[in-house]
Amino acid sequence: MDFKDYYAVLGVSESATPEEIKKAYRKLARKYHPDVSKEADASDRFKDVGEAYEVLKDPEKRAEYDQLRKYGARADGSFQPPPGWQSASGFGGGGYTEADARQFSDFFEEIFGGGRRGGFGGGFRQSMKMRGEDVHARLALFLEEAFNGCEKQVSFMVHESDEQGRLIPRQKTLKVKIPAGMREGQHIRLKGQGAPGVGGGEPGDLFIEVELAPHPHFSIEGRDVLVTVPISPWEAALGATVTVPTVSGKVNVKVPKGATSGRKLRLKGKGFPGKHPGDQIVVLQVAMPEQHTAEAEKLYEKLAELEKGFNPRSKLHV
Amino acid sequence: MTSKDRILTVEVTDTDGSTFSLREICERGDCHAEFVIKLVNYGVITPLDEVPEMRQWQFDVAALNRLQKALRLQRDLKLNLPGLAMSLELLDEVQDMRREVDRLNQRIRQLMGE
Repeated sequence: MDFKDYYAVLGVSESATPEEIKKAYRKLARKYHPDVSKEADASDRFKDVGEAYEVLKDPEKRAEYDQLRKYGARADGSFQPPPGWQSASGFGGGGYTEADARQFSDFFEEIFGGGRRGGFGGGFRQSMKMRGEDVHARLALFLEEAFNGCEKQVSFMVHESDEQGRLIPRQKTLKVKIPAGMREGQHIRLKGQGAPGVGGGEPGDLFIEVELAPHPHFSIEGRDVLVTVPISPWEAALGATVTVPTVSGKVNVKVPKGATSGRKLRLKGKGFPGKHPGDQIVVLQVAMPEQHTAEAEKLYEKLAELEKGFNPRSKLHV
Repeated sequence: MTSKDRILTVEVTDTDGSTFSLREICERGDCHAEFVIKLVNYGVITPLDEVPEMRQWQFDVAALNRLQKALRLQRDLKLNLPGLAMSLELLDEVQDMRREVDRLNQRIRQLMGE
């Protein structure tokens, strides 16, 4: 087991006052709160910070920790509590704490005992009928999966009581049939698939929030799907029928004569499916060939002569 | 693989249509109705139809998520109600801006042909 340096976690010195510890904790709790931070390891950092504060804010626990830090930590960073070690200020006594001891590390549990060993009182939990916790999970989908519907595997952690009423974390995996037309931020509710109830209570629900992975060609605005479609200068000038991709396949679209870059064409009902299906918005972009033949250059010169009244920079007053 | 680890296939029949009464949302959030009423008064969460009779209030899944987020922030960061309301608004704004930045970056990449 690795040793946890709670002082380093909070970024304070060993001689830090309770005020300094509280201040450091508050600052880091705000920074790493999983509802605030988008950093990948925010949840783990937040747990570490909470665990460190739980120990260092309490003079008794802090004194015990300091002793262990002095004698239990090994040079290679690992940790072994001294033989016969037993905490006098642990969680085992069922003392009130706002922190969720289930979240704490093995290191914490080894020193102080923890919620997983019945910190909330197994008998109390067992004798009470309680509904299981709702579980919230996120699921990233590719655009095509969200558009067409798909079957996805979702894994999440639930806390279950064992025969002694101890809370044991367990990974639960479900295969979920995602309906067509799910969009970013939408929620799916799976009744009874959250944590199991206690003492015959009904299980909680699983709520899945959908996230969409960025697509190389399509972007989403509400129910509408946007795609930028390059067209040639002559297609723009003369009008043309061009093939355009949609999420559900290719379609032919009529580009009007005299189209400009940024012009939007709306394909009704080709956006996200649903009761009120969205549209696909085709944004035209005039693309130039990288090279011209000598003959084409001559034609451009002729065109320049014929269209010399046109100033594309007139809006810039130049 | 133990029997506990078996993979169940579940079909979703209940997307955004789920609603919760005041009592149900309190049970799920493990909080008092007074707290939910205060959040409604501060505009942090909103019932689907703002009828004066609280017993008729119905909340959607997004409101439940927001309530649970508010409870976590209050518990972990010791925020009072006005602070909570402002934090949630700012977090929403940050999230919207992050999404907008992602969307615009994606559009730029598409326009650049990357």
